Amino acid sequence: MNAEQPVVPRIWVFVEQQERQVHPVSWELLGAAKRLSADLPGSVVEAVLPGHQIADLAPQAFHYGASRVYVIDSPVLEIYRNLPYAVAVSQLVMQYRPEIFLIGATTLGRDLAGSIATRVGTGLTADCTELAIDPAQHILAATRPTFGGNLMATILCRRHRPQMATVRPRVLPMPDPMPDATGEVITVPFDMREEDVPVKRLRLIRAEEQPNIEYADVLVAGGRGVGGPEGFALLEELANALGGMVAASRPVVDAGWMDAGRQVGQTGKTVRPKLYIAAGISGAVQHRVGMSGADVILAINTDPNAPIFQIATLGIVGDLYEVIPALIRQVKGQAQDGQAHL
Amino acid sequence: MHAVVAIKQVPDTSNVRIDPETGTLIREGVPAIVNPYDLHAVEAAVQLKERVGGGQVTVITMGPPKAAEALIECIEQGADRAILISDRKFGGADTLATSYVLARAIETINAELPVDIILFGKQAIDGDTAQVGPGVATRLNIPLITYAIAIEEFDLESRTAIVHRRIEQGVEVLQTSLPVLLTVEKEIAPVRHAPLPRLIAAARYQPEVWSATAPVVFDPQQIGLKGSPTVVGKAFTPEQRSGGEVISVADLGLNAVVARALAVIEQAHVRNLQPETGVVS
Amino acid sequence: MGRLTFDAIVVGAGPAGVAAALTMARGGLKVIIIERGRFAGAKNLFGGVFYTHALADVLPDYWERKPPFERPVTEQGYWMLSPDSVIRVMHKSERYRKEPADAYTVLRARFDPWFAEQAVQAGALLITRTTVTRLLKDERGRVIGVDTDRPEGSVYAPVVIIAEGVNNLLTRQAGLIASDLPPTHVALAVKEYVNLPAKELQARFGLSGPREGVAIDVFGDVTLGLPGTGFIYTDQSGISIGVGMLLDEFITHRLRPYQVLERFKNHPVVRPYLEGGEVREYGAHLIPEMGYDRMPKLAGDGVMVAGDAAGMVDALHREGTNLAITAGKAAGETALAAHQQGDFSAAFLNRYRRTLEDSFVLKDMKQYRRMTDFLESSPQFMGTYVNLLNEAALRYFTAHGIPKREMEHDILKMVRERRSFTGVAWDMLKLMRAMRG
Repeated sequence: MNAEQPVVPRIWVFVEQQERQVHPVSWELLGAAKRLSADLPGSVVEAVLPGHQIADLAPQAFHYGASRVYVIDSPVLEIYRNLPYAVAVSQLVMQYRPEIFLIGATTLGRDLAGSIATRVGTGLTADCTELAIDPAQHILAATRPTFGGNLMATILCRRHRPQMATVRPRVLPMPDPMPDATGEVITVPFDMREEDVPVKRLRLIRAEEQPNIEYADVLVAGGRGVGGPEGFALLEELANALGGMVAASRPVVDAGWMDAGRQVGQTGKTVRPKLYIAAGISGAVQHRVGMSGADVILAINTDPNAPIFQIATLGIVGDLYEVIPALIRQVKGQAQDGQAHL
Repeated sequence: MHAVVAIKQVPDTSNVRIDPETGTLIREGVPAIVNPYDLHAVEAAVQLKERVGGGQVTVITMGPPKAAEALIECIEQGADRAILISDRKFGGADTLATSYVLARAIETINAELPVDIILFGKQAIDGDTAQVGPGVATRLNIPLITYAIAIEEFDLESRTAIVHRRIEQGVEVLQTSLPVLLTVEKEIAPVRHAPLPRLIAAARYQPEVWSATAPVVFDPQQIGLKGSPTVVGKAFTPEQRSGGEVISVADLGLNAVVARALAVIEQAHVRNLQPETGVVS
Repeated sequence: MGRLTFDAIVVGAGPAGVAAALTMARGGLKVIIIERGRFAGAKNLFGGVFYTHALADVLPDYWERKPPFERPVTEQGYWMLSPDSVIRVMHKSERYRKEPADAYTVLRARFDPWFAEQAVQAGALLITRTTVTRLLKDERGRVIGVDTDRPEGSVYAPVVIIAEGVNNLLTRQAGLIASDLPPTHVALAVKEYVNLPAKELQARFGLSGPREGVAIDVFGDVTLGLPGTGFIYTDQSGISIGVGMLLDEFITHRLRPYQVLERFKNHPVVRPYLEGGEVREYGAHLIPEMGYDRMPKLAGDGVMVAGDAAGMVDALHREGTNLAITAGKAAGETALAAHQQGDFSAAFLNRYRRTLEDSFVLKDMKQYRRMTDFLESSPQFMGTYVNLLNEAALRYFTAHGIPKREMEHDILKMVRERRSFTGVAWDMLKLMRAMRG
């Protein structure tokens, strides 16, 4: 699809929902879309919401900045499968020819975005950490890490439309909702038959209390230095004392000490907590890429040359098995003393 | 049973260095490896072949001549046939152009011997886009299942398979028709230490080489730079977040260190409430 | 069952192993080289200087095959370093400039794979990432093959050439040597490759272009006066700098190898050469210093050993790689003859040793066999004499305005105080004995 410019540049955001719960990344993207819109004269910010019986989610999109929501409601879209979602959304894209289309880089988003881009024949930049409008060319400049975070690249999609990009949760800030905002709802028909969908979900094995570390304010993360799965009980104690969650680096997950859902890093999750405590983590760049956006980083490692110290607000050279218990005692002691604020 | 696995040779990114002046990758001295996820995909294919009692595993890659080494490593792991799709004209390809080339190649392979399953690693550790697999499935018009962690059932008679897929909420158990394209996580199959006879066979194996014009004709408009909607505007080293102070328990003593740590934690304005779980999607 | 069978097995794809495999493959034998590293040379490291005579011997047309050499050595010699001074004895000659030169600086991670490729082109099979774990023997104790760490990993051949390097597990298993090397008979060397643009490098070392290079061996303060050497070699666009000492010395004096290297790099005489350079790689390697008298038996029934595994190193002349290649070739030729005769017994294979005895390999090792012991017994040798020479030079060159006889007396007094004349005489005698063999 080449750029025959429609009159109104549309900046679209895909609203991801599963079981009628909207993934917050959709709102983060709407926030970004609004900022992009300010640099693209005459543009509008709109949301695309596929699913089944999800029309009552549309108002939330207005609260976060969309002026219009395209609701594609069909039973075949109740549960996510690649084919119906890719076909439904691609048809809409080809009908309206948006200028920019943003999708959250969640499991669903990453499954879907590439298919849409291929169907529509356009460019897609994945896992962007920054989105801006290039002032000279008035096109999307999408910046992303490559080579495990060692090199940043800014990607442009000059002639093809829409310019597509995916962004991981927690990379962009969550905008403040405007509860009084409203907009237009466009109901989009979609008639694919269930028999024509080759993939069926037989069942979902829910993970026991799947940890969502991406939205935790405090993370206590352990690396190889923890030594084994038992050590994580200590980190859990500290996390609880601080009102946070436990996370892990890749080697820990590879070794089976912790669940993959807790992995922070290039091939895991990106997190931006207020406080990130890295215990026994050396801080290879692939890990740093996932957590360097934290407000405050406290690192504990026995190796004075550990790369994590290069980005830590405070680095402690010491044994985590000495430091963390002492820290827990102090934190708990302060809580008991009635200190409301930590 | 015929499985096709698409692989990529990548620099070992744990060892990569960037020239701070030019902002380009220093490739010299950086070992090239088979993208780790792709190796697991090859293993999955080989184990599937063993499970159904025979078949063929074809490995393909689009890359420079050096990528032949990566294909040989896959033959060591048990693949039967390897094809290197290599031509200067493929250079500068983004994911759209790459998926075009691979899809076209798979179509040709399928015409010779029908393909039952196509496997990709979930993402390449250099590009990290995870886009090529979905792109190929879309072009071939076959079902796509990403983040596959297990193939529970694989029935050539009924042309169906049951695949486990990892999502944020847990594991989906999906039924699909064949052929299907999977992008896989490492869990799908552990990479085994290849037996020596296979290493010897691989050392003697020569991958087939396909160019942009033979034995398949690739549309020049859809390959390489021409076929790539996206271009790199600029590349630069990431701004390094700089570190604060580093103190040691040995020097200051445990108490002083913990006191400093608490002060820094206070900086984070963390409220001591119930653990935040956030919204689970 | 289909046993994997070859005419010969070579353990290790370093210079010794490859030279053997190349020789045998060219002679028509089915050869397999089994290397534990990721690629040939992955586990190898040296200074270092490579002598082309050995390569020419095993591969006469090597020059046309474009070996990846760094720089021809057109100037070489010694720096005798005291804590703040140096006496340099360097030799440069127009006659060094003819190419192919007698010696080149080389980086093993580049050279070894090229050399192994020549063996592969000659028909040898190279298998990497596979470790030979033990020798297979028949009921009479004759070596008939090897076992590896891979599934279905046994390989059979009537002759096995061990070129496993300084960690000589298989050589011990073969019963050719009793134990592994004690710290008194193995050296530990560490080196860094410091990147420096060619133009800058050439300016600092007085080289007119890329076809000139310098090889410097350093004694004295580099190893804190203890027996050992440092080296500075110019590569194409970098400097290989390193230091090596007997492991025993590191242990006795509680020295950390990298600290010794850092100290060397920071020596006022050395530092300016490295200024602005970027350390790209560092590594360490063990070097056998067993000496002629402690070398293993070189052959057993169905087995021979070559290279570092056999202790074939002449540290005094910084030779090792060329001994390895020459020995590998000799082992290969012996294997070819054994196949012709159908005799793989130790008695027959001993002609390998006899070939080496007739060559510089064992002749040199025999001649210098007392060197390690000499240095061990006179550890002050390096330090004392190097410092003495530097002090003497300083006095000599600054003796303006004082009667020269005073200066001469001063120098002799210094010698007497530090070592005494009988001490010097005794040292010279011991040195001569050690050098004459």
